[in-house]
Amino acid sequence: MVLKVFFPSCCSSAESGILIGRWISEQNSAVILAVVHFPFIPVQVKHYLREVQQVTKVSVSVLGSWNNSKQEKEESLSEFLEDLGTIFSHEPWIQISKEGDSKFWNCSTLQKQSDIHREEEIILVYYDQRKVMLSHLHPPLDTADHGAEDASKLSAIFNTVANSKVLFMTDRYDDGPIKMTHWQSDGIEASIIVELMKQASVPACMLLTFLLSLVSGVCNSRVLKFWPLSFLWSKLSTCEQLGHRLQHLQVISSSKKAQNQTQLMRKANIFVSLLIDVALGILLMSWLYRKNQIGHLADTLIPVADHVAEELQDLLQWLMGAPAGLKMNRALDQVLGRFFLYHIHLWISYIHLMSPFIEMILWYVGLSACLGLTVALCILSDIIALLTFHIYCFYVYGARLYCLKIYGLSSLWRLFRGKKWNVLRQRVDSCSYDLDQLFIGTLLFTILLFLLPTTALYYLVFTLLRLLVVIVQGLIHLLVDLINSVPLYSIILRFCRSYRLAAGVKFRVLEQQDGKPLRLLMQINPLSYGNVVQTYRLPTYSCYPKDSWTSLCKKLFLGELIYPWKHKGEKQE
Amino acid sequence: MAERRYRSASGAPLALRCRQHSASCRELAVRCPRLQLRSLSAVTSAVWLAAYGLFVLCENSVVLSAAIFLMLIGLIIYLHCVKIDQESLLVIGSLGIQLTSSYASGKESTTFIEMSQVKDVVINEAIHMQKVIYYLCILLRDPQDPQGVSEVVPLFQVSVTE
Amino acid sequence: MAAGRAQSVCMVSDFFYPNMGGVESHIYQLSQCLIERGHKVLVVTHAYGGRKGVRYLTNGLKVYYLPLRVMYNQSTATTLFHSLPLLRYIFVRERVTIVHAHSSFSAMAHDALFHAKIMGLRTVFTDHSLFGFADVSSVLTNKLLTVSLCDTNHIICVSYTSKENTVLRAALDPRIVSVIPNAVDPTDFTPDPSRRDDSTVTIVVVSRLVYRKGIDLLSGIIPELCQKYPELHFLVGGEGPKRIVLEEVRERYQLHDRVRLLGALEHQDVRDVLVQGHIFLNTSLTEAFCMAIVEAASCGLQVVSTRVGGIPEVLPEDLIILCEPSVKSLCDGIEKAIAQLRSGKLPSPESVHNKVYERVADEVVLPMDERLDRLISHCGPVTGYIFALFAVLSFLFLLFLRWMTPDSVIDVAIDATGPNGAWTKHCFLGKRERIKEEPPSSRSAQMERTNAPVPRGFKAC
Repeated sequence: MVLKVFFPSCCSSAESGILIGRWISEQNSAVILAVVHFPFIPVQVKHYLREVQQVTKVSVSVLGSWNNSKQEKEESLSEFLEDLGTIFSHEPWIQISKEGDSKFWNCSTLQKQSDIHREEEIILVYYDQRKVMLSHLHPPLDTADHGAEDASKLSAIFNTVANSKVLFMTDRYDDGPIKMTHWQSDGIEASIIVELMKQASVPACMLLTFLLSLVSGVCNSRVLKFWPLSFLWSKLSTCEQLGHRLQHLQVISSSKKAQNQTQLMRKANIFVSLLIDVALGILLMSWLYRKNQIGHLADTLIPVADHVAEELQDLLQWLMGAPAGLKMNRALDQVLGRFFLYHIHLWISYIHLMSPFIEMILWYVGLSACLGLTVALCILSDIIALLTFHIYCFYVYGARLYCLKIYGLSSLWRLFRGKKWNVLRQRVDSCSYDLDQLFIGTLLFTILLFLLPTTALYYLVFTLLRLLVVIVQGLIHLLVDLINSVPLYSIILRFCRSYRLAAGVKFRVLEQQDGKPLRLLMQINPLSYGNVVQTYRLPTYSCYPKDSWTSLCKKLFLGELIYPWKHKGEKQE
Repeated sequence: MAERRYRSASGAPLALRCRQHSASCRELAVRCPRLQLRSLSAVTSAVWLAAYGLFVLCENSVVLSAAIFLMLIGLIIYLHCVKIDQESLLVIGSLGIQLTSSYASGKESTTFIEMSQVKDVVINEAIHMQKVIYYLCILLRDPQDPQGVSEVVPLFQVSVTE
Repeated sequence: MAAGRAQSVCMVSDFFYPNMGGVESHIYQLSQCLIERGHKVLVVTHAYGGRKGVRYLTNGLKVYYLPLRVMYNQSTATTLFHSLPLLRYIFVRERVTIVHAHSSFSAMAHDALFHAKIMGLRTVFTDHSLFGFADVSSVLTNKLLTVSLCDTNHIICVSYTSKENTVLRAALDPRIVSVIPNAVDPTDFTPDPSRRDDSTVTIVVVSRLVYRKGIDLLSGIIPELCQKYPELHFLVGGEGPKRIVLEEVRERYQLHDRVRLLGALEHQDVRDVLVQGHIFLNTSLTEAFCMAIVEAASCGLQVVSTRVGGIPEVLPEDLIILCEPSVKSLCDGIEKAIAQLRSGKLPSPESVHNKVYERVADEVVLPMDERLDRLISHCGPVTGYIFALFAVLSFLFLLFLRWMTPDSVIDVAIDATGPNGAWTKHCFLGKRERIKEEPPSSRSAQMERTNAPVPRGFKAC
């Protein structure tokens, strides 16, 4: 088996000394953690290693010697280094030596017990201690007990590095008995500001938590739980969005420490998404209130609503005649047309009643944009839903009528074929009918069949209108979901510190010389952007309608109602 | 460092390069033909002719600028995300197998498979588009079930099928 | 082992495992026998659910499951063109010499015949079903059959009735039509009297539950006989749209304990079902050759069947009771059968297939112009010209494909049976020894499988 030496790239310029690290016999590889410089006292080194072992639970030992000779090769030193092998017994004893500024190092092993000097191939793998630690490729620290079975895998190496965190935390200027080179963590000096921020955030979080509990207490109060109100809340997307954001705030302000990497990322993502959302909302608000845009908006909104109603009226008049040259059942056509016309009449008078207050309502509603762009968008969606309520009503009437006819026709068609629907077994049974039953059935079937085109036409027209509204609302919801779910923090992190989001490692073959060991550079392989979004996407509250396109078409054909909003377990209406 | 020439399933020329880094480490690289100037100019002139035809019809110069813009965006996306120049396989003894595909823009996407994960390397047949082709793939071991295969990783996917 | 030249045979049909039925098992067993004789065999069918791509069955039988869209009744849609690129690729890479299409219901089989003829390969077609001449669907299918068979090298039918039917339908020269009855491996269907319950009489029905199989007749028989004989039980295996009819009968007459519906059966389970019964009932309204009754007879059941299509040719008189396809006649037949219970076997004559291939391999494939002439003269003016146009278009398409991916680029597939069938020889030898060792308990086991005499169905032309 090939011998692999994992060498920290920060130690490549260290002075001569001995290599300490962990030997993983399952993989036949040595993970070097640090270089201890000359001079040292062997007993102290052994003592120190024992201490480190106790703290980190990593079996750290002296693995070999490191000879960095700036000048000509000194015979005495190399001999001395070989002798060191007898003091620190390790099998095999690794000797790495660097000459001058040469990139190619000599590397050899000494097997003392077996006298046969086996010519074993050695691969030198350089790694960056800091990146390996921050990449979180190792299994979580608290579950590292069953490390024995993973010893054959590469994660054992990451585990070793991550577990010896304590080793790197020691202060550079701390004068201990032993001098070492390894990656130096930033220490306490740089993190003072972070610490201060942490301290300051605690009371802020507590205040936020208190306020939130107050708000949620009000929301959960019994007054708002009565039937008509709760039904209304569940239909308004604004309330849903507010509730969603409230949950987010609760997550952020909770004083519990994030347990692992994923939860930490989730918190950070929520925080950034909230910030962006509010910033966009305030931007929108500033635009709205700067030049009396609200007034303009209100002035255009009322004519638009009026115009829509008039267009609908025209459409109905057209349908009541002979639409597209189709000959309809005149009586039914008139009845349906008048029924819908009356509705539009009601609607227009309602709009006119409302018109003086529209501007004021819009002004107050606009204030909610400071809660975030998503809330503003949800309000927009709700306003659209309210303003097109008449279209919804038409659609429901049309669909119900059509559904009834289709249902009747299908059951009467079964009657012709001598079949009937067996409710108990959920299947079609054969059944013999009387003559009277068949006669009545035929009559009804004929009537329904000839009235079907008229109903179908009304249904078709209003379904198309309804679909238009549903699509607009769907697009708004899509935008809201996008803002809600994009893990912005993760994406920024991927952009700036790509090694923090690791998918694995990759190796690069460095240039080499004959007779020298193969040199590899181990790099962190970052997740692709698509994967980042997939992994850290925030869950949204609105699940998309599960039906596929075919089932949607089937629903439309059978006259079942379609909704833009989600189905929440129970059947609506 | 020998370079040998082959043909892909559709007859496009391929170049295979083997490099022996050391006794236990070797690299195999398959290079696809580079983007032909002929095809590039054909596509460009086709798009511009279409845009010019539209411009003559509706007499709006936005069409022309939009065509140039779309062309550029399309070319960038093609070079950065679609066109693969070289696919290489780095086999490091007792460490693992690394697959690298380099795009025409210089972007590289790399996957490293540990040796302990590799269950087997097999040649298989598959129906691809309107062809039946042979392909080389790595079977990954399922961590839960030692007998099972958790994933099939096809090698030199683009070079073989293109 | 291989007599004559070894051919590379490509079986094409929409129907293959995991779909179950007579055609499927026929293709499988025929392929196994041909592999045993040293030919290279591959099967091409369409994808079944997740089963796509290339699979290998016993003895290196290679099966291509092509991702084509299924239209109706497991049959693919046909456009005559869309399957050409893939089929051509397979024919070229496997170096196919003979294309053998199965079943006139299979659109893919017709497509493959069409493409094979354009590519200049020899073609054989096996018809497994009978058709009428009167209704619209029959007229259309017959026209299609005429077009597709008019320049096919050889046609195999499973019974004389089927041959007459096919010759009439497709307006063929009877000389190129052979009759080779289907066969079962009698070692797979052996009687096991211990499994029966002799205190009752059990009637077994194993068929797809569809109109063609006469399930409506069965629903009339069941209540009548159950009233007459209190010890009678029914065991129905199979699945289909007519299952509901049987369920209704069972509910109406309260026969839940006496009529058992087993649902869809795997082929290896069929024997387990068969040996539980005393009488096998077949109520088919039309049938070219009934595999089920042969299997049943092989398991030692008394067979009662309708006298339709090729059924009278299948079993000797003493093994079968034939009735008219009516409830009354069938009831009489079963009553007769209940009185006398006897058992029997039938030989397995797959070997005849080999002769057909050797003969076909010597024939010349018509050149394009002759083929067009034949299409136009043979199939009537309108259809003839339309399909002649199709043939020309298809040929142009083939030229285009040859230009896109020349034959030289296509890899040659590795034969899964090894060089000269080396990898499977061992396995077949083992199997033959096993057969020899079996005690000569039945008529068919006494015959050497490969040296079976020409069955009474075969007429050399």
